[in-house]
Amino acid sequence: MKKVFNKIRGVIIRSSGLLAFLALWEIAPRWGWVDPQFLPPLSSVLKATAVLWDDGFLYTHIIVSLWRVLLGMLLAIVIALPLGFILEGWFPSEAKRLDPLFRLLSHLNPFSLAPVFMLFFGIGELEKLAIITLVAVWPVLFHTITGIRTVDPLIIKTAYSLNVSKLILMQDVLLPGALPTIITGLRVGTQMAVFMLIAAEMLGASAGLGWLVHNSAMLYQIPRMYAGGLCIIVLGICINQIILRIERNSLFWKDSIEFLGQTNRRTVNFTNSLYVPILIGVIAGVLFFGGQEVNRVNSQGLYNKDNMSHHNHPIKVE
Amino acid sequence: MKAFKAALDNNIAILAFLLAWEFMSRIGLFNTMFIPPFSVVLATTWDLMVSGHLVQDILISLMRAIMGFLVAVIVAIPLGLLLGGWFKNTQSALEPLFEMAAQANPFILFHVIILFLGIGETTKITIIAWICIWPILFNTASGVRNVDAVLLKSALSFGLGKWVVFYKIVLPAAAPAIFTGLRLSAGYSFFLLIIAEMMGSNSGLGWFVLYSQENYNIQWIFSGAMLIGVLGLSIDLLVQYIEKKVIIWEVEERVD
Repeated sequence: MKKVFNKIRGVIIRSSGLLAFLALWEIAPRWGWVDPQFLPPLSSVLKATAVLWDDGFLYTHIIVSLWRVLLGMLLAIVIALPLGFILEGWFPSEAKRLDPLFRLLSHLNPFSLAPVFMLFFGIGELEKLAIITLVAVWPVLFHTITGIRTVDPLIIKTAYSLNVSKLILMQDVLLPGALPTIITGLRVGTQMAVFMLIAAEMLGASAGLGWLVHNSAMLYQIPRMYAGGLCIIVLGICINQIILRIERNSLFWKDSIEFLGQTNRRTVNFTNSLYVPILIGVIAGVLFFGGQEVNRVNSQGLYNKDNMSHHNHPIKVE
Repeated sequence: MKAFKAALDNNIAILAFLLAWEFMSRIGLFNTMFIPPFSVVLATTWDLMVSGHLVQDILISLMRAIMGFLVAVIVAIPLGLLLGGWFKNTQSALEPLFEMAAQANPFILFHVIILFLGIGETTKITIIAWICIWPILFNTASGVRNVDAVLLKSALSFGLGKWVVFYKIVLPAAAPAIFTGLRLSAGYSFFLLIIAEMMGSNSGLGWFVLYSQENYNIQWIFSGAMLIGVLGLSIDLLVQYIEKKVIIWEVEERVD
């Protein structure tokens, strides 16, 4: 009984900050503390969201943005992870020499080289994927290299003294040892990828959440703009939470202590749970349905059947 | 001589990259219309610098990035230390809210803040500060929370008080995490400032690049892009340098 009570109390405390904020959002415009023209109350934003959802546009925007982020991230992982392992595993001194170049390249801003990107990738989906991948590749690569480099030397020496081969060492020692760091890199990369995607969609696209916000702002549809922003935030939180959970579970071998409050690190052995299949299923689903929507959007345009078609974006994706 | 050799060895990859770039556009592997040789870009950059306009844009951009970053540091580090575990209830009440705020993309905010503040300096600095706050805040909080168990156990078994543990153990132990946040933020600040300047500004490096793109001056585009990259890298190295000067107790673990 007391346990249940404590749990309820915890939930109330945890949600109180958020609820207070949402309540303030509703009250402030209603009572005239801020101009409701600029900040519509939460209820009208939610109404705008519902209208968008009923029209079927919101689903398209969300799935298109998700598809772009996911595919871009997958490409970044496919490039960075093997590269990191090969560099650090077999050519550590070369990796050290390449590091300054990688650092320099990681600071290249894809938007500053937009014409060059257009030259290589056109102005379609490929350009956006290239921007996302280029931005996300570096955190994953750096964190992979750092992760491998900072695996406890004692464990590596032990493994060597057991005469394991390099491949086994990679698979059974370095990969689990570096996994938490790699996943941190993944999280940082995803964050950056979402930033970039929204910017890319604002600067030139015909669908996606970034486009929705930008287009609404241009047409002065303020509730719709907030609705788009809210969706981006919720989406970001979901992605972040999923990766955080994986990150926490990847620390299963680490010691923790309770000090100054509880550590909420639950250790789940996620190799024999439903975790991995569900995650793979979700990824596959987003790739499949997102791909369909992206095709549809790019082949016929999203808004050609109603009066919203005159959005002021000169760049139309072919 | 030895120092020169070490410097050469450190930067050999960059040199090779630049040489390859120069060579490939010289022999016509790239179309010089789209990818001018490195030497031409360098010469253009020099001309732009001498004429003085670019210097002004660089200073403006740096000023904005630094201002935003400083505001973030002043707000985020104390808040992060507090959230790292002092007020447990406040922490759990604020955490979901902060998580939401952290996901509030700078470019959505751009449109929102423009509504309230217009397109001015304050808007850009606010956006940069907003972006920078969250990595610092979260890294500080998690640094405080994930202090090495052994250190804490031994400190507690010595019977040290909470404040002493905080000052002597938690703060130094969390410092690397705080610096991780600072580095992340410094990187974000400059990277995203450029995009913010491209979206709404009439000065700064981002504006310069956009202006060059609109006029299709490919050499200027490359100059701008190169400068942005070099400046971003310099900021990163500067923060790293400060980190090394401040954190002297951390022994670097390296597997060779």
